[in-house]
Amino acid sequence: MTEAAPERSLDAGEPPVEHRSRLRTTYETIRQNRLAVIGAFFLLVLAVVAVFADLIAPYTINEVNIADRLAAPSLDYLFGTDDLGRDVFSRVIIASRVSLQVGFISVGLAVAIGVPIGLVAGYYGKLTDSILMRAMDVLFSFPAILLAIAILAALGSGITNAMIAIGIVYTPIFARITRGSVLSVKESVFVRAARSLGASDARIIRTHILPNVLAPIIVQTSLSLAFAILAEAALSFLGLGVQPPAPAWGRMLNDAQGFLGSAPWMAIFPGLAILLTVMAFNFLGDGLRDALDPQQRSVIESRGVSK
Amino acid sequence: MTGFVIRRIGQMAIALFGVSIVVFALIHFVPGDPVRIALGTRFDPEIYEALRERAGLNDPILIQYGNWLLAAIQGDLGVSFRSGQPVTGIVLQRLPATMTLAGAALVIALAVSLPLGILSAIRSGSKLDYLATTASQVGVSVPDFWAGIMYILVFSLTLSWLPPSGYTQLSNDPLGWLSHLVLPAFTVGLISGSILFRFVRSAVLEALNQDYVRTARAKGLSQMRVIRDHVLPNAWIPIVTVVGLQLGFLLGGVVVVELIFAWPGLGRLALLAVEDRDFTVLQGTVLYIAFIFLLINLIVDIIYGWLDPRIRYD
Amino acid sequence: MNAPAPQQATDRVLTVEDLRVSFGTRSGVANVVNGISYHVDRGETLAIVGESGSGKSVSTLALLQLLPTPPARVEGSATFGGGNLLTMSDRDIRRVRGNQIAMIFQDPMTSLNPVRTVGTQLIEPIELHLGLRGKPARERAIELLETVGIPSPGQRIDDYPHQFSGGMRQRVMIAMGISCEPDLLIADEATTALDVTTQAQIIEEMQHLQQRLGMGLIWITHDLGVVAGIADRVVVLYGGRMMEVASVDDLYRQRRHPYTRGLLESLPTPGPERPERLHAIPGLPPDPTRMPPGCPFEPRCEHAVDRCAEDRPEYRSPVPGHQVACHFEPEELYD
Repeated sequence: MTEAAPERSLDAGEPPVEHRSRLRTTYETIRQNRLAVIGAFFLLVLAVVAVFADLIAPYTINEVNIADRLAAPSLDYLFGTDDLGRDVFSRVIIASRVSLQVGFISVGLAVAIGVPIGLVAGYYGKLTDSILMRAMDVLFSFPAILLAIAILAALGSGITNAMIAIGIVYTPIFARITRGSVLSVKESVFVRAARSLGASDARIIRTHILPNVLAPIIVQTSLSLAFAILAEAALSFLGLGVQPPAPAWGRMLNDAQGFLGSAPWMAIFPGLAILLTVMAFNFLGDGLRDALDPQQRSVIESRGVSK
Repeated sequence: MTGFVIRRIGQMAIALFGVSIVVFALIHFVPGDPVRIALGTRFDPEIYEALRERAGLNDPILIQYGNWLLAAIQGDLGVSFRSGQPVTGIVLQRLPATMTLAGAALVIALAVSLPLGILSAIRSGSKLDYLATTASQVGVSVPDFWAGIMYILVFSLTLSWLPPSGYTQLSNDPLGWLSHLVLPAFTVGLISGSILFRFVRSAVLEALNQDYVRTARAKGLSQMRVIRDHVLPNAWIPIVTVVGLQLGFLLGGVVVVELIFAWPGLGRLALLAVEDRDFTVLQGTVLYIAFIFLLINLIVDIIYGWLDPRIRYD
Repeated sequence: MNAPAPQQATDRVLTVEDLRVSFGTRSGVANVVNGISYHVDRGETLAIVGESGSGKSVSTLALLQLLPTPPARVEGSATFGGGNLLTMSDRDIRRVRGNQIAMIFQDPMTSLNPVRTVGTQLIEPIELHLGLRGKPARERAIELLETVGIPSPGQRIDDYPHQFSGGMRQRVMIAMGISCEPDLLIADEATTALDVTTQAQIIEEMQHLQQRLGMGLIWITHDLGVVAGIADRVVVLYGGRMMEVASVDDLYRQRRHPYTRGLLESLPTPGPERPERLHAIPGLPPDPTRMPPGCPFEPRCEHAVDRCAEDRPEYRSPVPGHQVACHFEPEELYD
């Protein structure tokens, strides 16, 4: 072969892309993605709202005002009132806290359990891999929402159990993604070189494999957050998740069913809140994927929750 | 190909085994005594003992599992704590309704996602592509129970075009059957279609970018022929997989929609069982759904293997 | 307008003039091909040599309008059969593709459709351009497989690409390419993915076919070793421009352009006197979104002066048929 060997003595071409500038290019790519930016912005606003909910909400969650029950949206009651005269707007705002909380903790759980499983399975391969992945397959055999319901039926309702249930349901996907990434990196040249130099397994995993596995995990986290919030809403709709008096978007929807004709705003706004939040996470996740890991297969997308 | 099929059946058997353990374990994770909880206020010591005996709860755990598994293989899933009826019968009675709903939803999903997905991929970057992709992003994010409620609001309450809930037998009243099916099927179908759309689009897009498409064009084939003879035959393969997965999810995932539309299917059965603390019914339902899901996955995998000559002729 | 008539009157098959190809990218306009001109005659083999990114593949894809036109922009002319390939209508260029001009590509595994039999893919151009159907089409396909040296063609025609070895797959590609007896065959790195022995076999067979059919052949490669064995004339590309055009003999004996020199000198030479290190051209190829106004090779050229960066060099012709794009006469640079 007669290709000239590149040297870095002369000024032609870009300097090699370093770690720091990769972060920058990711940031730049996302910034150009309008939808992702909108999503991120919305989430930021939502986070602020959730944290300062008590201050922002004009009424408290159980401020009953029978005289004003089933009132249409107005300046006094931005989203109208429900059958007990409670301000829907305040309840929606305060319920955001629950949704975000359950979402983050359950996904955090899924990551904390799933990623190590995937790392071990991918790295050590053979029997360990088979056993672990079969176990994940078993969890994959149940439609997500059904599994969550079954777990909650056994453990009982409540916010903690809901987080556990959703966490368990999303563990396999993180395990699978992590394992996939590990497999593709494991046989790469620099890992083999490190191993030939005598680096320990743990060290190899930490310094070589983990950074490359990070990208799909980050993408999946955002997407899973979207679905976790949907899941939480579905569970609280069914009365299985957060219990009263804490408000939850899903449960507000359930309560609204009986008043659909007389007070549709009871159903419209909480649902809209769920929709916008989930969309925001999805936009952000899609943007992250395009920036970090465009080849990630969308088999992941085919796994919905209440679908 | 035969080796492939045998391996997949083996995998399914193992997964089914694992599933059975999980389902079996469910009843044992319940804090407290499941039968007592199920009976609740209707507690009667004789019935209590009889139910415990029937459910094998007095035996040591491994024997319980063994007996339960053997019975399950023969189709006996125990009796309901509430009604005393055999679980298998209850489940089978509800199965057709769920399959109808899942089937109708899938038809709608395919009708929407296939043409739009293919067109969007071919005209990637066009206005159509942009609109369809954005619409699908919304569709994927919509909570199905909320969508269902909104449809009821618009089409039943406001416009009075369609009934808000319920179910009539096809044999009794075909038109009524259809009118009851429309809203729930669209609720699930449009969301499922959004998920499928994204996948169809990316599968076709990926096939379009392959080298063999360039070769086909270099031979002078028209765009239509390239798509028909080279792109689609390759894109079908991953699409079939996802469609199968979706069907599987639909069967168990329509739980909440069945509740809203009072659709007498498996999902609603499961929910009622949870309310009633009727664990055997819940177990039976979950087991059936998981089994059907695994079965569908197996069939899909075999079809996939058959479609891809690299696997078929090996 | 009908498809262009096959060349009978003159020997010249293709004339390319001032071909330019640019792409719109996120980081600006990438000028990949910046004005190349060459010609190919009947029965002649032209080698286009360059590094990756020199624009060699893109320039030939442009000839058959195989580049997606947004984001690509193609200018210049490519005269074939009385018409301009670059401005032909879609219908007309499709009649040329695979028929009068055929192209074969580098990686036969990905260049063949994995889910269709080899026979189906081979028969496609035969049906399309020669109008044969059914049995006669199949028979012709089997004949072609035999011509390119595939054993038991009658059975193998119904096999899938993955059931062939790499060398066999490339032969299938060649069979597809010559199926309609084209006037011009373009081989884009056709043997790069193959081992050396298979390479040699394929090259030999290509030469036989070329003689038999009297086609023009454009051979794109980065491997100067291959060029010596197969080409009549050579075009050396760098940064989307031609650095040197010459007959093979002239090029190897009297390489004039500093880049050509660099390429030839970096070929490892067997023999008792081996230099201590491999000679390499320092630096990296230019960024097509930031093409300099002057000579593209200037940053890496050891003879460069200020003028080289600002003025684009004209072609000098030291010998008829031999062109060099450099400000200096070769005598000024080398003793």
